[in-house]
Amino acid sequence: MQGSAAVSILPGATPALSPPVVAAQDVTITYGGVVALKNFSLAIQPGEIVGLIGEAACGKTTAALAMLGLLRPPGRVVSGTVTMGGADLLTLPREQLRLLRGRDVGLIVQSPRGALNPLLPIGRQIATVYRAHNKVSRQAARDHALAMLRRVGINDPERRYHAFPHEISGGMAQRVLIAIALSSQPRLLVADEPTSGLDVTIQADFLDRMWRTTRAAESAVLLVTQDLGVIANYCDRILVMQAGEVVEERRVPAFFRGPTHAYSRSILLMQAERGAERLAAPAADTAPLISVRGLFKRYKLRRGRATLQAVGGVWLDIRPGETLGLVGESGSGKTTVGRCILGLVQADEGQLIYRGQALNLAQGLPRSLRPRMQIVFQDPFDSLDPRWNVADLLREPLDLHTKLRGPAQQARINELLELVGLDAPTALMRPRQLSAGQQQRVGIARALACEPELIVLDEPTSALAPAARTAIILLLRSLQQRLGIAYLFISHDLATVRHLSHRVAVMYLSQIVEQGDREQIFAHPRHPYTRALLAAHLDTDPTHRRPDHPPATRLEGEIPSPVDLPPGCYLAGRCPSALPQCRTEKQELIAQEPGRLVRCWRATEELTA
Amino acid sequence: MTRLRAYPTLVIGLVLVTLAVLLAVLSPYIVPYAPNTATPDVEMAPPRLTQIPHLLMQGAPVHWFGTDAAGLDVFSRVLTAPRTDLIIAISANLLSMFAGTLIGLLCGFYRGWLSELVMRISDLVQSFPILISGMILVTLAGRNAGNIILALGLLYTPIYVRLARVEVLSQRSRGYVEASRALGMREIVIAARHVLPNSLAPSLIQASVMVGFGILTTAGLSFVGAGVRPPTPEWGLMIAGGVDDMIQGQWWPSVFPGVAISLTVFGFAALGNGLERLYAR
Repeated sequence: MQGSAAVSILPGATPALSPPVVAAQDVTITYGGVVALKNFSLAIQPGEIVGLIGEAACGKTTAALAMLGLLRPPGRVVSGTVTMGGADLLTLPREQLRLLRGRDVGLIVQSPRGALNPLLPIGRQIATVYRAHNKVSRQAARDHALAMLRRVGINDPERRYHAFPHEISGGMAQRVLIAIALSSQPRLLVADEPTSGLDVTIQADFLDRMWRTTRAAESAVLLVTQDLGVIANYCDRILVMQAGEVVEERRVPAFFRGPTHAYSRSILLMQAERGAERLAAPAADTAPLISVRGLFKRYKLRRGRATLQAVGGVWLDIRPGETLGLVGESGSGKTTVGRCILGLVQADEGQLIYRGQALNLAQGLPRSLRPRMQIVFQDPFDSLDPRWNVADLLREPLDLHTKLRGPAQQARINELLELVGLDAPTALMRPRQLSAGQQQRVGIARALACEPELIVLDEPTSALAPAARTAIILLLRSLQQRLGIAYLFISHDLATVRHLSHRVAVMYLSQIVEQGDREQIFAHPRHPYTRALLAAHLDTDPTHRRPDHPPATRLEGEIPSPVDLPPGCYLAGRCPSALPQCRTEKQELIAQEPGRLVRCWRATEELTA
Repeated sequence: MTRLRAYPTLVIGLVLVTLAVLLAVLSPYIVPYAPNTATPDVEMAPPRLTQIPHLLMQGAPVHWFGTDAAGLDVFSRVLTAPRTDLIIAISANLLSMFAGTLIGLLCGFYRGWLSELVMRISDLVQSFPILISGMILVTLAGRNAGNIILALGLLYTPIYVRLARVEVLSQRSRGYVEASRALGMREIVIAARHVLPNSLAPSLIQASVMVGFGILTTAGLSFVGAGVRPPTPEWGLMIAGGVDDMIQGQWWPSVFPGVAISLTVFGFAALGNGLERLYAR
């Protein structure tokens, strides 16, 4: 698509060409001479949802803000217009623009808590914005705010109206933001990565509500995201951006059938697989490389008056050369499990059996075991010392655990760089000079340096943009095939878990609730939580969209706090098939068919019936 | 050069600080009169602009800033003073930065009752005004440059302890520290190799500003009679010595050293500000 009038194919439902709600024409924006957005054109129809996807710093946010006539200093508009209701937002006087904002246009930003005033109750914040744009009484604004809270799915709005932002969860804060943004029924809604900080179940819930509310109000929506699942399920049209330019604009079904631009193809690379490819797995009777037995970790809170149970009895096995995916939402304890196995967090109880040798995890690991088990972190930049260059970073483990020195060491560094797909000159660069994907490759090379048998991958792809994410998954997979390393792959992203794991364990509130091989978990989940998690997952399949096929399994409410856990099954309060005895009886992991364990007596009953 | 232009305070600070350091080193070779030798001209005013060509023709060295009540050349003394002020301020800061950073690193890395105790002690030290506690310490130990350095070094240490500890606390939760731990590195090695170098920037920036304050305190101590002994050429002493004559219109013995202090302190403050901007990039 080139700048021309941007007449776009409409979503099937809209019959004729109505005038667009907003139309950007040939907009170019620079930051101190650097072009951030080049010849950007986009027209959005009423009721249409347009998805905008691209790498970090490709101009997505600049484009989204420009649609609202907003510029981040020191940004400067070089050319172009953004027309809405006959006015050009880019040249409109401040005061008129202010009247428009909040009434005709709404914005939802990435960090919900940062966007709310910490000193005002959330209900007041909704009412204030509503009153700023509508001539209504205080009482009417209050009633409207309550109605909005109810509409975005907040239980007990009368009480929540008076809650302060720090008293509500991140998911709820995000819903308050959408309530503010939608309170005056804006004609245009811009959402900049609204769900990137949220858990899968909350994300799906949030997007469902946004979809329904905006469709009902015929609002035009621009949705900036890095998640193809979001695009496939909720958007009518997609814009792919690279280095400030739109490189592809298509209707969503056509895009997923056959993207034309090279970058689009690179981010869709993994989609064809859908986890159907075969991963060479070790034989089922292979002795495990490590076994974890009865792992517990509790934290004392409020000066010992309360206990937070981070890990409540975890048993797991990992065989040599195998990937065990550990899935769960935030606060499930999955990261703590990984840290405890490596001895980075001292467990309260637990045994680690490494090649038949039993070790007490409550006493820390012997130093000799360190090089055998390594870790790759979530935030690649944070995990590298910013003052060291890549060669020095890789030299550290070699100095510590190998006898390689001088030229032999240099040769090993080059070999490591080659293994992770970095070229030799990278050795002299510092972390800051590398892209996030390259930084993560350095992190992987460092973990590989002393030839470990197990690597704990703690959300290694969640901080990466789509193309880099795909590349890292492919790299990890090929490294496993070449070097035979076992992975403990910790992630909340079901799509990447499916691409990489032989077996999967699902964690909920400090316990494993279901464990099995990949097919068992993904094709035939048994535990209600696993089912809900999979139902909330946004598949990148535009022919089977979530709004058209509402999932059967949904969990009510939010994840309870890991302080003061319920006496019976931890899921009982949210589970659709809970019976009275679920609330009182503790659940144990029960073996079902070979390889599968489920912590739910009803699922077992169902199977035997 | 174009890069330096983006940091005007850094340039101003560098110029003034370099000037002060050069004077501290070279003053004996450039001053027109010996700073502690009286001249026959007592309480002589600085020359007026119109007199300058005439004075230059005479060939004798000029009393650019006039002379004080004892007949000492103010210009030579102002230029010689950095020897005392700068050396005291810089040494005291080096001492406290070294001790404070080390203590702060250990307190931030190993948290326990001992580190709590150290922090409370440094709170106690900081709760007294530096000039007052400095006066007491110097009076007890004896008025000489070495004791002033020790006293100021002791009093400044808590500032660096606090700075280093806060930075260490924020750095030790960073991923690269955990990565080193996962490699099996000893805690003390992690502290020295990774945490310390990444925690130094705030202390270095603070040091630059603190040297300025150190000069101010050194001069302040001499002013109240608890610093170096007269007739050492020292800005605070010179101001104190000239104060009595100020009221009679003889402003030069006090004003010139005062301006010198202001310029030097400003120079160090500007340098600190410039460094801060440079690091913030």
